[in-house]
Amino acid sequence: MDKISLLAALIPALPFAAFLAVTAFARRRPMGAALTSIAGTAAAFALSCAVLYAELTAPAVHAVRAEWLQLAFVNLHMGVLVNQLTALMLFIVTFISLLVQVYSIGYMRGDSGFSKFFSFLSLFTFSMLGIVVADNLMQLYIFWELVGLSSYLLIGFWYDKPSAAAAAKKAFVVNRVGDFGFLLGILLLAYAAGTFDFSGVIAFVSSGAVPPARMTLIALLLFCGALGKSAQFPLHVWLPDAMEGPTPVSALIHAATMVAAGVFMVARLFAVFSASPEAMTVIAYIGGFTAVFAASIALVQDDIKRILAYSTLSQLGYMILALGAGGYTAGLFHLATHAFFKALLFLGAGSVIHAVHTNDIWQTGGLHKKMPVTSITMLIASLAISGIFPFSGFWSKDEIFSVLKAGGHTGLYLAAVAAAFMTAFYMFRLYFVTFAGAPGEKSEHAHESPAVMTVPLMVLAFFSVFSGLAALPHAHNIASFLYFGEPERAGLNTGIALTSSAVAVSGILLAWLVYSRKALSAASLKAAAGPLYSLLRNKYYVDEIYMFFIRNVFFVLTAAVKWFDRRAVDGLVMATGLGVRRGGDGLRRTVPGTVQSYALAVFGGMAVILLASAWFHPDLFGFGGLLK
Amino acid sequence: MQQFLFYTFAASILIAAVLTVTVKNVFHSALYLAFSLFGVAAVFALLGSYFLAGLQILLYVGAVVVLSIFVISMTKHITGAGAAGTGRRTLPALLTVLASGGLLTNAILRTDWGAPFAHSYGAGTDAAAIGSHILSDFVIPFEAVSVLLLAALIGAIAIIAKDEK
Amino acid sequence: MITLTHYLVLGAALFCVGLYGVMTRRNAIALLMSTELIFNAVNINMVAFSRFQEPGFAHGEMFAIFIIAVAAAESVLGLAIILAIYRSRQTVNSEEMKLMKW
Repeated sequence: MDKISLLAALIPALPFAAFLAVTAFARRRPMGAALTSIAGTAAAFALSCAVLYAELTAPAVHAVRAEWLQLAFVNLHMGVLVNQLTALMLFIVTFISLLVQVYSIGYMRGDSGFSKFFSFLSLFTFSMLGIVVADNLMQLYIFWELVGLSSYLLIGFWYDKPSAAAAAKKAFVVNRVGDFGFLLGILLLAYAAGTFDFSGVIAFVSSGAVPPARMTLIALLLFCGALGKSAQFPLHVWLPDAMEGPTPVSALIHAATMVAAGVFMVARLFAVFSASPEAMTVIAYIGGFTAVFAASIALVQDDIKRILAYSTLSQLGYMILALGAGGYTAGLFHLATHAFFKALLFLGAGSVIHAVHTNDIWQTGGLHKKMPVTSITMLIASLAISGIFPFSGFWSKDEIFSVLKAGGHTGLYLAAVAAAFMTAFYMFRLYFVTFAGAPGEKSEHAHESPAVMTVPLMVLAFFSVFSGLAALPHAHNIASFLYFGEPERAGLNTGIALTSSAVAVSGILLAWLVYSRKALSAASLKAAAGPLYSLLRNKYYVDEIYMFFIRNVFFVLTAAVKWFDRRAVDGLVMATGLGVRRGGDGLRRTVPGTVQSYALAVFGGMAVILLASAWFHPDLFGFGGLLK
Repeated sequence: MQQFLFYTFAASILIAAVLTVTVKNVFHSALYLAFSLFGVAAVFALLGSYFLAGLQILLYVGAVVVLSIFVISMTKHITGAGAAGTGRRTLPALLTVLASGGLLTNAILRTDWGAPFAHSYGAGTDAAAIGSHILSDFVIPFEAVSVLLLAALIGAIAIIAKDEK
Repeated sequence: MITLTHYLVLGAALFCVGLYGVMTRRNAIALLMSTELIFNAVNINMVAFSRFQEPGFAHGEMFAIFIIAVAAAESVLGLAIILAIYRSRQTVNSEEMKLMKW
């Protein structure tokens, strides 16, 4: 029982206490709810800083666990496992959560569900922290589902809006598909290893006792969970729709933290995944494909939040790609920097929406003068995500590129570079259209957001700029803090840095030419792209294909199942019930209904039973001598 | 003498009881019942429980049977054919009763009752012993019975009372 | 010599007669009277046991007294119910009292 793990155990408990307190006492006191919730998260943040500091000065594994359930073949624990990865995630989750909650005071002001919103945010923070500190698969899975639940609640927060309700349902159902595979993977792994604990599982896998084919199956099933939570192709469809939720939710859950849960899980079980090279290859290709695929969709979207949502998909693809290529540090580093700048982008977008009351970028424009703080912080975030030196995205993307190059994955490397080009283009398309140029039809009454919203933007902007410096070649840099196996010492590769910078700058230049200088007309680009444009515009028709399959295959199957259930299963049950009823009805008629006949039946029956017993066991009744 | 008394009482009890359950007229039936209960009181006296014998006469013959006769006369067509006599189940009932009786008698005869204390007729318990029992170790059942009787009294009134509407 | 057995056989016989009445009488009042016979059969047993098995004590008699009290309460309520049924249905025939049968 060491201090660090006890502190870490307390971290999820604080937001949970805030959640309970808000739900129980502050339904009608909006400010009380907000302050309680923020106080809980702030305290958790302070503890997280302490844990991170302890890990930075003396990296070590701290664990504490208590017996929870004793089953026949396996014992379940509840426990806390703190290592460098945990410390970093605790810091990111509590930090972003704290800023988003502060920001929400301004953004959600006057909403009828203000208190409820904060209680849900606290619930989410609790669940996410639970995932981070979990020390075994089952505990991780429980909090994993809790995160899914809070995501459902928050996407459908404005549940009277049909699209929001549908989006919440969609997110839940799509995640179910992934979680089903995840659960199978967990059970398969735990059954083979005889334990749910991470340490036990990892030791078991490292011992090489699992046949390779089985290992690949387990790794891929576990990865299904990440597919759902981190919205990788083909389960990515829920994330863009999840933008129906309030924008702070999009920032917290669907950009910075929850969707990182899948990446985190892959990192936590990295030893398991890396035991199967085949699974790692699949993961890398899915990540790479999602990065390019989502970035290309983002090129042509009109809704500011949807652009950011596809951008998130693409960036998550990068992280998965890095992990799949073996770049443990690179993937997690990108997770950290992305958390900062993507949260910033979403909060900035929220600030814009708050000011102009529309999500359509074409209805805005020239907002820079009216909303300078939002505009400048958004610019910083856009530069960061595009990977411009010296912003944070530059460092983490370069790490990923180096990993791909060093691993000899040329195809994936080219895909990542293409995605980086598209990222720069769509981000600056968004930026130029929204903040530069002539005022749009809805920009007229725009005004800068209150300080409670802009201060979080500035704090995040600071981190978006400087968090990348953790990658500088230095004794205490990110690679010597977060590593798998051996600390990585890959310094800055000049060639890669120049390539990526060139790609990013050309993407920005193209966006500038098209949307700011208007040297190239967007319409002519559209015409040149032809069918490709409508393909992108309709998100590759993935939703339509899914609906087609659901209608023509799934519903046919379910109709058959329904028929079988109604007719065969229910029919059997109904037949049993009906038979009993008919039989009872028949028997009923044989009963006279008078008390006397019952008395006769009771005493006559008793006499018959006694006489029969006397017949078969004469000695019992003293008839032994009589009958002989 | 004792044997004579016992057999006389037993015979009158059983004959009266059989008549009670077989005669068609319910009013006659009640009278036979009273006679039978008298016989039981006599048996109590024979056993030396004079207090109980008195109680039997007062309560059963005096109260229960008289009450039954009241109710019989209040329900008018009692002597009519409908509710008189015995029902259809005579034979099965007779068989059941004979079987039960046979089994009971068999059990009684074959049980070793130990060496019964020879009891001297005439030297029974007096009412004082019963009274002290009632007010000492049987006081709680006694109180419970008094509450039960009160409840029965109220219940009977509530059941019989006509709705004042 | 009259022994315990004689009294017990008397009780058993009275019980059987009462049982026969309970099973066969059509008139509900007669039915109740048959149950009184059964009570009395029990009382004979009680007093006989008290007399023969523990002379000098009156526990059996105490039970008999309580049985008499309960029997009185029972017959009062039974008669009240019969009277109530007679009022609403103009019958005391037990064969017709089967409203509870569906």
